[in-house]
Amino acid sequence: MSVTRQAPAALVAADDATSAAVATGSWHAGVWLLWALAAAACVQLAPSPVYVALVIGIASMVVSIHARPGPYARAFPMLLAVGVLFAVVRMVLTVATTHGLGDVLFSTPHFGLPRLLGGFTVGGTVELPVMLQSLNEGFAIVGVMGVFGAFNSVVSHSELVESTPRAFFEIGLVVVVGLAFVPATLSAIHQVREADRARTGGRPIRKGRLLRQIVPVLELGLERAVTLAESMDSRGFARLGASTRDRVAGWWGAASLLMLAGAFVALVGQAQTVATLLGLAGAAGLCAAIVLASSGSRRIRYRPRHMRRRDWAIGLVTVLAPLAMATVSVVGDSSLVWYASPLAWPALHLLPALALVPLVVPALVPPMEAA
Amino acid sequence: MSAISLRDVSFAYPDAPGAALSDAQLEVFPSELLLVIGASGSGKSTLLRTVNGLVPHASGGRFGGEVTVFGRSTRTHHPRDLADVVGFVAQDPESQSVVDNVERDIAFVLENLGFGQEAMRRRVEEVLDALGIAHLRNRDPSTLSGGERQRCAIAGALAAAPTALVLDEPTSQLDPQGADDVLHALARLNTDLGTTVVLAEHRLERAAPLADRAVLVADGRVGAPADPAVLLSAYPGAPVVTQLGRALGWDPLPLTVRDARRHALAEPLDLAAPQREDALVPGDPVVRATGLGVTLGGHRALRDVDLAVREGDVVALFGRNGSGKTTLLRALAGLVTPTRGQVTVADGASVAYVPQNPGAMLFSATVRRELEETLRLLGHRDAAVVDHWLRALHLDALADRHPRSLSGGERQRVAIAAVAVGGAQVLLLDEPTRGMDAPSRAALEDAVHAHAKAGGSVVLATHDVELAARCATHAVVLGDGDIVADGDARTVLAGSLFAPQVLRVMPPFLTVREVETELARR
Repeated sequence: MSVTRQAPAALVAADDATSAAVATGSWHAGVWLLWALAAAACVQLAPSPVYVALVIGIASMVVSIHARPGPYARAFPMLLAVGVLFAVVRMVLTVATTHGLGDVLFSTPHFGLPRLLGGFTVGGTVELPVMLQSLNEGFAIVGVMGVFGAFNSVVSHSELVESTPRAFFEIGLVVVVGLAFVPATLSAIHQVREADRARTGGRPIRKGRLLRQIVPVLELGLERAVTLAESMDSRGFARLGASTRDRVAGWWGAASLLMLAGAFVALVGQAQTVATLLGLAGAAGLCAAIVLASSGSRRIRYRPRHMRRRDWAIGLVTVLAPLAMATVSVVGDSSLVWYASPLAWPALHLLPALALVPLVVPALVPPMEAA
Repeated sequence: MSAISLRDVSFAYPDAPGAALSDAQLEVFPSELLLVIGASGSGKSTLLRTVNGLVPHASGGRFGGEVTVFGRSTRTHHPRDLADVVGFVAQDPESQSVVDNVERDIAFVLENLGFGQEAMRRRVEEVLDALGIAHLRNRDPSTLSGGERQRCAIAGALAAAPTALVLDEPTSQLDPQGADDVLHALARLNTDLGTTVVLAEHRLERAAPLADRAVLVADGRVGAPADPAVLLSAYPGAPVVTQLGRALGWDPLPLTVRDARRHALAEPLDLAAPQREDALVPGDPVVRATGLGVTLGGHRALRDVDLAVREGDVVALFGRNGSGKTTLLRALAGLVTPTRGQVTVADGASVAYVPQNPGAMLFSATVRRELEETLRLLGHRDAAVVDHWLRALHLDALADRHPRSLSGGERQRVAIAAVAVGGAQVLLLDEPTRGMDAPSRAALEDAVHAHAKAGGSVVLATHDVELAARCATHAVVLGDGDIVADGDARTVLAGSLFAPQVLRVMPPFLTVREVETELARR
């Protein structure tokens, strides 16, 4: 009797799971993961500034349509800024240490480093091709950071954790909770800086500012962490404890990792056969441990959201972009990579630009079926 | 049989010299709403944390005695083993959510307890309805208001259908609307579902009428539970109407405006209208905003605001959250640049702003050094000011304590002292009484009076009409970035729907002190 009752209830639950997906109004986290990987691969395949700029443009479009409200909403501009900062620092270091390619812009005082530190010359001539080439490479890094930022601002992090094998749930949750401290800390820094200015009637005083500001930031973070830990403990986190199966899976996984380490040692020692065998055994063991731990998990997920057919379709469409780009690259397109010397404007060709079109699809196609 | 029982419970935090709780005895009956009152730092939080074993399991320290919750002892059960019988909600709404989705955060406890899919679905739906937050189910908790977040936290504790809920000042960080929502939700859970509720609160005017019994904690000693009205008769933090009843000798003491009005109608008093003690001599404006407009992140936070703060003025700035109170204070302090209009400060005057969260400011090892630090930063050498402000805010006894070891209200006072010691003529205080108990509030009021009397000015952004009734000379109401009322405090407060309690019982009196003065005169 109870069996016949349960069957329709399970159907109802499955039906409701789809309605949850509709209500959240965005693509599944897996789609965004595929999108981010595809976009990053495109930047790698076509690092010329024009194509990188196109990818950043697509990312910003994705963010403007799909950004989730919340602490990560500003991840895109912030990670872009981090990328730009990194690129500029990299450019300065490269320009200061690379010389002899001609086209000198100006010269600065220079000194040689001792042999122990590499023996190269710091300062001296600042050359245009070096600068442009370094900026070009830096821009590709900005592109990858932009894609990563866009991914963070559109994806639901809890959904991402949920999509991992069950064995990773606890550790994934800890990572997500830890990540959530980044925006909280940023807002704490903002508050503390303002409080510091307010204290002196708006007059900024630089001396000792770091200490004055770092102590409150750390203490605010600590208070938050303690409250969160108490809340998780009061809500029964880790109550089920480790089962025998979990322990077996743990030891099995550790042994597999040891085998992989052994494979690496064998590889260094030129013992190809042993390395291959150990490597295969280690990888297989690791997979088995994950499957074992996942099947043993007694934790049942609340309304798991699965990738539906539409999610898969869109996810696979985005993967077409790097495939197309790789095809263009194999066929041989000169515009994919740009070199600063001899100096010329980077070219924009039709085929590589068309190859990027699949990346736009998740932004334009509405996630739910039109009612 | 009692739901929760504490026998001979003593506890001391690690490295703390004194005991946080000593020989506590308490029986909580099933389905009752027990109110725990007491000043900040009295041991209320410690008492509540013993109920689900957070003390001593999460805190460490020396623990004696026995706490039994529905037959389970916290000696042998960790908080996680009690999650199905006791739900716990802390004070800070911002750091209690684990998952970035309301619905999933509520289900967190169910997943931990190993519930099945169907049972989880049903329970989450029920809890969403019980707290009236079904419309928030797909939101990220960090995008919600404080009151909404706190109701989500209660839902997260309630999902496991615990027989008891323990709440540690759940409304102290909320505005009045959010606090009302939370307390109403609790009252409903208690009356409709029969959930046992143990609640620590400062907002007694709301919480006391809901309680079956109350218990007073002072210096780590837990008193005998009693009827709330009886217990509050001698309590300094009693609701204003109760204090009024005490002054007029009403029996039984009223807890609500409704009860008090019945008394006032039954025994009408023939009192002359109150004399204005603080009739204001309008001085010169010290700070003046003219046509002030501020746009923050594309949102117009302030529109065309005109405001003059004069010498000796205490201005109360009202308005719901997001109405522009903080922005106005920050603009007056020069921390945001106006997009239109201007702020002018009189020659030789200075303006200082105390932000809402005192934790963002304090970093020294002692309270005294915290004040000296400001002087050092400003290059002042006058150590006498430090003592003056320590005394003014009743901090002298705490001068050698570490600011982090103090209660929320005490810390707020330290932050105010640390800013005021810089010698600014105009002090801008952003929600200074948030989370403050009665002694801290009284100390703050004294300091505000003294500063104004000495020719300074104070602007208080607040939700607290009682504070305004006692201190303010001038009141301003902001709504959606506009000034919607501006005038002397008595007129503005009297015309308000949310007038102070005394005014609603015995107009035209604003405060208990005014009534007492007229009684003495008679």
